[in-house]
Amino acid sequence: MDRVQSIERLKTAIMDGDEEAADWAARVLETGVDPLEAVKQAVMEPMQEVGVAFENGDLYLPELMMIGDAAKAATQVLMANLPPGEDSVQRWKVVIGTIKGDMHDIGKNVVAALLTAHGFDITDLGSDVSPKQFIETAKIQSAEIIAISTLITTTLPYHREVVRILNDTGERNQRYVIVGGGPVSTAWASEVGADGYGRTAQDAVELCNSLFKGEYTPPLEEPLSFGTL
Amino acid sequence: MNTLNIIDILERTQTGEYCTVKEWDTKRVPRTIREKLKKYSLEKSFDLENPVNTDFELADEFFKAGYEVALELGMLYETGDRIVKVSEEELAAALKYAPSEVIVGVGKDATVIRSRTPSDSYPMKFGAPLGITMSEDIFLRLNEAMAREREVDILTGGSLITIFGRTLLAGSPFETLAGYEQARLHLEARRLAGRPGMGGVGCVSSVTEYGQLGSCGLPGGFPPTDLLLALFPSELKINDQTLHKVVQTINTGGMVFAGSPAMIGGMPGPPEGATLSSIAAALLQYPILQSTVGGGEIYDLRSLSSVNRASLKALSVTHQALSRNTHLITQGIANQVSGPGTENLLLESLVGMATLACSGSAFSQGPRSAGGKLTDHITPLETRFCGEIAHAASSLSPEKVNEIAKEILPRYEEKIKEPDLGRPVQEVYDLKTLRPTKEWEDIYLKVRQEAIQLGIPLDAY
Repeated sequence: MDRVQSIERLKTAIMDGDEEAADWAARVLETGVDPLEAVKQAVMEPMQEVGVAFENGDLYLPELMMIGDAAKAATQVLMANLPPGEDSVQRWKVVIGTIKGDMHDIGKNVVAALLTAHGFDITDLGSDVSPKQFIETAKIQSAEIIAISTLITTTLPYHREVVRILNDTGERNQRYVIVGGGPVSTAWASEVGADGYGRTAQDAVELCNSLFKGEYTPPLEEPLSFGTL
Repeated sequence: MNTLNIIDILERTQTGEYCTVKEWDTKRVPRTIREKLKKYSLEKSFDLENPVNTDFELADEFFKAGYEVALELGMLYETGDRIVKVSEEELAAALKYAPSEVIVGVGKDATVIRSRTPSDSYPMKFGAPLGITMSEDIFLRLNEAMAREREVDILTGGSLITIFGRTLLAGSPFETLAGYEQARLHLEARRLAGRPGMGGVGCVSSVTEYGQLGSCGLPGGFPPTDLLLALFPSELKINDQTLHKVVQTINTGGMVFAGSPAMIGGMPGPPEGATLSSIAAALLQYPILQSTVGGGEIYDLRSLSSVNRASLKALSVTHQALSRNTHLITQGIANQVSGPGTENLLLESLVGMATLACSGSAFSQGPRSAGGKLTDHITPLETRFCGEIAHAASSLSPEKVNEIAKEILPRYEEKIKEPDLGRPVQEVYDLKTLRPTKEWEDIYLKVRQEAIQLGIPLDAY
């Protein structure tokens, strides 16, 4: 198998959500392909299509999650072989979950899968996650972003609590807090002092990419907003 | 026949097969759904040019496949990662002994919800408003206004956003406090509306079990003659929150009202897959959650609604399948996206409610004005309209409602993803006189007239 074929095979494995994507990534490296180039061609380029395919109904959530996992596994293998001194394409760590009291996890799952597929290192805390759990996990993981999902209106005030604890402990400047979900809006993100709001899962990816690429420092004066409620 | 009780179910949450949520979501559910769609040749069987199903044989095939999904999957107890399964005999017994008729409320104000078939002359009953959050200062008056609407059969009621001026926090003792206060306000709203015996739904302000435990079946709380909510997560999952509510309802002699939407685009995949999941969920609610009234709901993750073509098709097939093959009392919801004061909200309501009513759904709740996203974005006027359509469209044929849907859908479907969220009740409705603004009423009268011209016999009501 030559270099081009091996990259194509890895791309296929990722888009199929193949659990052996990591093995295919190792085979790519055996052909002598530059790891960074492999990530760009086999992981990052196809991921641009994934969100669109989901929104158009050509791809469903289980496939999205499997693709995210496959992309993550392959990226890890490729990045582990990056020559010293070369910039990693690995993006930030994100701790994500549905806030306390809320068991709705589907919107959060879509965001987590898309972010994973786009190279972010996701720790998914599931649903019914307390403000303390978000913060403690983010600390342990050294995560740059805390992403909070909500569907139920009476769980919204816990967003404020996450920001408040970070302020009270003097850690607000260490990580971004972004919010999303059915009843969440830009105005709400601003009111609670969050750094960003995304209306859809694709918007959340744009938001995280913007924070990653931009020259910001938390906390932002006004949240970055993608999509309008 | 061997009927299950709640103790059997609680035991199975401890002894069932181990399965993680991720395994359930990404493998078990999608795989089983895909297999059944293939086995019954149901893949890509939905013709979305015709949004309301008119092929009962197709609906019956979906029922058979959904029944098998229910038996093969069961439900995942996500709190402990155990699968709660039921045997074929247990499922059959639960469906056999499930009630076909229920009285909600007491005396002359009570409502009878009855199992229906497609185009049944007995109307689909309507509960409102659908738990939309309301400011505390207008909560009582707005719920009273809803209860005064004669087309509202059951007061589902809005959700409190604050409690005694304080932030209502889910899972905190504020929620326990709010549950009881909400019950007091609901009962007062029914009394003020002159319908003290009207049935209700408790406790929509409480997402966790606390509000339910603090309000249902207690003196001064939601009475056992109301329907008591025990919603569960998609797809086919239960947890301790849900089971606490079920146990409390059973302990206090109440009626369990369960439900959960199957997600198009989610774990079951395409609209056909979501339909199978919805049917399976509807069936499993009876043995596992001991339901009196169960949900057969659909939601499209991509459009965040259930009034687009895919959802309408899935809703029509789900309710035709359930109503033709069981005597269950099932609920469906038309999740609108546009807000009060907009014509699109009424158009979405017209198509959504008519689809459910003609397909055999026994009960519907609504409206979900502005997608249920904004506080105070609901008025009694669109609520009345939903009730009118629910009742008047019940005996129409699916063919007729399909024609109506094909006429109306093109006028709003392109706006579903970016809807006009309209205005809050305070801007389009006078809560002192209980009258809509002229502008909002004119829109209502125009759409109502159009509905009559399209063949919905609203003038007979």
